[in-house]
Amino acid sequence: MSLLEVRGITKRFGSLVALNAVDFSLTEGEILGIIGPNGAGKSTLFNLIAGLETPTAGAVSYRGRSITGLNADAVCRLGIAKTFQIPQLFPRLTVAENVLVAALYGRGRGLTESWREAREWLTFVGLADKAEKPAETLTVSERRRADLARVLGTGAPLILLDENMAGLNRREVEAAVGLLREVRARGRTLVVTEHIMRAIMGLADRVVVLNYGEKIAEGRPADVMRDTTVIKAYLGESYA
Amino acid sequence: MTRWIALLALGVLLLLPIGVGPYPIRVATVIFMWAALAGSWNLLAGYAGAVDLGPVVYHGIGAFVTAALMLKLGLPFLVSAGLAGVVAMVIAYAVGTPTLRLRGAYFAIGTLALAESAKQLALAWDRLTRIPLTGGSAGVSLPLSAGYVLFYYVMLVLMAAVTAAALWLRGSKFGYGLRAIAENDRLAEASGVNIHCLKRRVYVASACVIAVTGGTAGYWLSYINAADVFSASITFQMVVMTLLGGLGTPFGPVVGAAFLTLISEFLGTRFVYHYLIAIGVIIVAISLFAPGGLTSIFALVRRRTEATA
Repeated sequence: MSLLEVRGITKRFGSLVALNAVDFSLTEGEILGIIGPNGAGKSTLFNLIAGLETPTAGAVSYRGRSITGLNADAVCRLGIAKTFQIPQLFPRLTVAENVLVAALYGRGRGLTESWREAREWLTFVGLADKAEKPAETLTVSERRRADLARVLGTGAPLILLDENMAGLNRREVEAAVGLLREVRARGRTLVVTEHIMRAIMGLADRVVVLNYGEKIAEGRPADVMRDTTVIKAYLGESYA
Repeated sequence: MTRWIALLALGVLLLLPIGVGPYPIRVATVIFMWAALAGSWNLLAGYAGAVDLGPVVYHGIGAFVTAALMLKLGLPFLVSAGLAGVVAMVIAYAVGTPTLRLRGAYFAIGTLALAESAKQLALAWDRLTRIPLTGGSAGVSLPLSAGYVLFYYVMLVLMAAVTAAALWLRGSKFGYGLRAIAENDRLAEASGVNIHCLKRRVYVASACVIAVTGGTAGYWLSYINAADVFSASITFQMVVMTLLGGLGTPFGPVVGAAFLTLISEFLGTRFVYHYLIAIGVIIVAISLFAPGGLTSIFALVRRRTEATA
């Protein structure tokens, strides 16, 4: 059985169709890449799955259970958590408390266990030395890792990463890719949107390509990159 | 440390009526009353970040329900005030369910409008429903009260309960959930926090304390009318005291209530006609020079002394 099923999902903002009847499914333990130019609908797709927005039409089910229209907190407790394209924090809580909140509420654990988990995930993403600092003092790359630690702290088996590597330099991207492989090795399933092609190519088992809210291709990364429709969407007619 | 000082202070306050005369006890009762009201407001605004400009609704409900139970059913005061708290909780649950979905300024405006409508409804209640409850603009007289020491202790318990709740929030799971909501509600939601449910719990609990305080104040004064017990100035005094003392701090409302009550008492007896001007200047000065409130000055002094020691 697939872990996540997205069927005919559509989102309209007034007359703008952000997503038009997109289907895909996901199996446990997979890393799925979602790529597409700016405005293709990647973030909207994530927001719909995570319950931050409600779809105009279509359905999402998780482990065979419909989650369409559920609130974000309920979706998170069921097992789907997402990072934000612009990394979000609780600015005046400490970095450790940021992860603590996720462990307390996403996972529904007690205080002692949650503190332990918060520290474990901070060590995992390499922020253990910043644990007691206010979150607002973190740099962009640290914020992305703190956001990742928070999502891991919720205990959600399915993690949606919305351009979690944007704004990182080459070395940081390599480190981030390594970290995400390790996350998968710990039994989590990942859906990743990314602009950085190299990162996606080396990471994803399968990619879905979106363009103007429609799915234009799906398959193994290497095959998709040779697809003429995809090249047209990214680089324009003359390169296809 | 702070907890031990607070417990010690509570012990002294419990024994205070033995040692001092009626006037200081009455002033202390006023301080406790405002500390309980401001403290209840602080739980929602300071910890969950929801600025409620209509908490006086529950003050008025508490006063009238307490009065009705005492006068019509002949129930003892403490039972009536307790039941008024329960009535306020039921109403707060019903009111909070839709209004707490509003965010930021919309919640503030919505609750302010609600409080004003509640006042008008209370004024017109007897005429509209033909059930005598509020006495319209003439108000309601309560039985003459049973001495001032009872009120001292009831208000002390209310203040202590609110302060203890605020202290408990600091390190508890519930407190972290509220702080997460106050800091970034969308992220809190995406992290599994049921923001609506948490905010409603605080709203309902604070409504209960406000209603019991309102009921007690009504019996203490032995006369209530809708224009007074639903007055927006009660809301604003709660807000000003909390901000003066320190928003989102456990002792801020207590310090703010004590400061404003004592300074009004002191200046009011000396400059009967102009003391409000002086209080206005003092409030502005504190907001300018200590925007974190009076408790932030204590914290600053403590850090300085620790640094030099």
